[in-house]
Amino acid sequence: MSIEVNNIKFSYGRIQALDGVDLSLPGGAVGLLGPNGAGKSTLIRILLGFLVPDEGDGDIFGFDIRTRQTDIRRLIGYMPEDDCLIPGMDAVSFTSYLGELSGMPRQEAMKRAHEVLYYVGLEESRYRLLQTYSSGMKQRLKLAQALVHDPQLLFLDEPTSGLDPQGRKEILELILDISSKKNIQILISSHILSDIELTCSYVVILDKGRIASRGEIDALRRMDYSLYELRIKGGKETFLQDLNGFGYQIEEMEDGLIRIYVPSDRTPRDILETAVGRDVQIRHFVRSRSSLEDLFAKVVGAD
Amino acid sequence: MSIKEKGYTHWDGELESRRFPWSPIMRSGIRLTFKKKFFKLFFFLNLIPAVVYLAGIYISERLEDFEFMIREASMPFKVNPAYFNSFLSGDYLLFMIVMILVFAGAGLIADDLKHNSLQLYFSRPLKKRDYFMGKTSIVFFFLLIVTLVPGLVLFLMKLIFAGNFKFIQDYPWLPLSIIGYSVLLTAFFACYALFLSALSRNSRYVAVMTFGMYLFSDILYAIFNGIFRKPAFALMSIKANLQQIGAAFFGVKLPYDVPWMYSFVLLVLFCGVAVIFLSRRVRGVEVVR
Repeated sequence: MSIEVNNIKFSYGRIQALDGVDLSLPGGAVGLLGPNGAGKSTLIRILLGFLVPDEGDGDIFGFDIRTRQTDIRRLIGYMPEDDCLIPGMDAVSFTSYLGELSGMPRQEAMKRAHEVLYYVGLEESRYRLLQTYSSGMKQRLKLAQALVHDPQLLFLDEPTSGLDPQGRKEILELILDISSKKNIQILISSHILSDIELTCSYVVILDKGRIASRGEIDALRRMDYSLYELRIKGGKETFLQDLNGFGYQIEEMEDGLIRIYVPSDRTPRDILETAVGRDVQIRHFVRSRSSLEDLFAKVVGAD
Repeated sequence: MSIKEKGYTHWDGELESRRFPWSPIMRSGIRLTFKKKFFKLFFFLNLIPAVVYLAGIYISERLEDFEFMIREASMPFKVNPAYFNSFLSGDYLLFMIVMILVFAGAGLIADDLKHNSLQLYFSRPLKKRDYFMGKTSIVFFFLLIVTLVPGLVLFLMKLIFAGNFKFIQDYPWLPLSIIGYSVLLTAFFACYALFLSALSRNSRYVAVMTFGMYLFSDILYAIFNGIFRKPAFALMSIKANLQQIGAAFFGVKLPYDVPWMYSFVLLVLFCGVAVIFLSRRVRGVEVVR
């Protein structure tokens, strides 16, 4: 396991940002999901050593996150969410500078800066001043600086924010390429569920500072509930009230579609029996393949 | 060609554990400062006092060549520790040092705060002290070039022009005074620049503060001294405090009738406060509790 943390607690004054987080992450690409304020960024900042946890311990590649931060930072690359640059520099000097700060020899850092800038698609504008870069270019640049020293683990904080659809697609392609073919582990924090679904095989869902769910995305889809979609005619309110009473979670879509999460101790047959009991016609009834969004809504209770 | 096709290759080198991990910060900071408009001009203007004082040393040693200028009058100056003190703590040099700080010091931390780049530094194998060392070394580089280097060169030139070692026999401690005072001056101004630079995210405000605080402290001294006629008000002035310590270092009469130790303690206290403030202000991430 590359990352392991036990009972991590952290508070900002009275606000408990992380409340006993235990994690043991596998290799590959891992998605960190959660609504705003769930504690995703706080967790990443603790792993980077920016914040010291109030309680708990952990290690990355066997190095203690409290005492061996310098060793950890040699092995990781970090792409922050905010725009960050050093004014007066162009992309090549910026990237090679950060490579040098990571411990690369000067000449090697310069050579490598050209390579990674080429890789992220900034080869044409690598000598332009960073202040003149668009949001999409800054996003690519942040990825380049995170990759320059060839880390073993990448922390990507909202990697596609501020990108147009084409730029987003290209960055996601890069992330997929890095995680699947280049043997670099990735931890992606994002609120864009489809990005996580596309790039990650394992997901950790945080809610209110606690881990709400975690596991392989495919396994999570199968766990605990199954999702059915149906359309009905007549007696909708009483029918849905009854299902709610039985512990089903229900979502009503705008187009009249009803999505029902069936708990593991119930069967879809119960839905049909309830409909018969309430004299409701079922016009459409299919089992749906649950998406990460469904899982997220189910776990976090968000719309 | 799509990005994916370009391929990512692993780097087969090994990361070094540098003895001075802050050296890239220093190198890059110096390079970026020299790129600033008018900086080179200001920087070289700082060397004017050194040239003037060098001419003074030459004249003092080749008096016979300049008899037509001096005529009957006695030599207008003497090259002694007071001469070096007046070079290193002269009004012009101190003022120009502040001007260097306006260019080279204002953005040191303010720009990193404004552009969120602290997290880039601290996601690298750098400690907070490496970051500060890197930033401080930029100020040290520029200020030592206009204080320590010309100070020692003047001393050497005095020996060369004299053609003997009498000067060093008379004042064997003088090189140490030059080194000590230059380093102290530079250390104080480094704390001053970094402290002010961390106060704001806007380097222009910091530039105004750097210049304004130096000038304002002197004006304040002049006003209070004018009203109350007490030399102790010299302690309010940055310039006066530095000149007091300079006089103590070179063993010459103090310019203000206040113990130089008071000035020294004041400046050390200021540096202490600056260091505490900086260590709290500069973090990989801002935490509001």
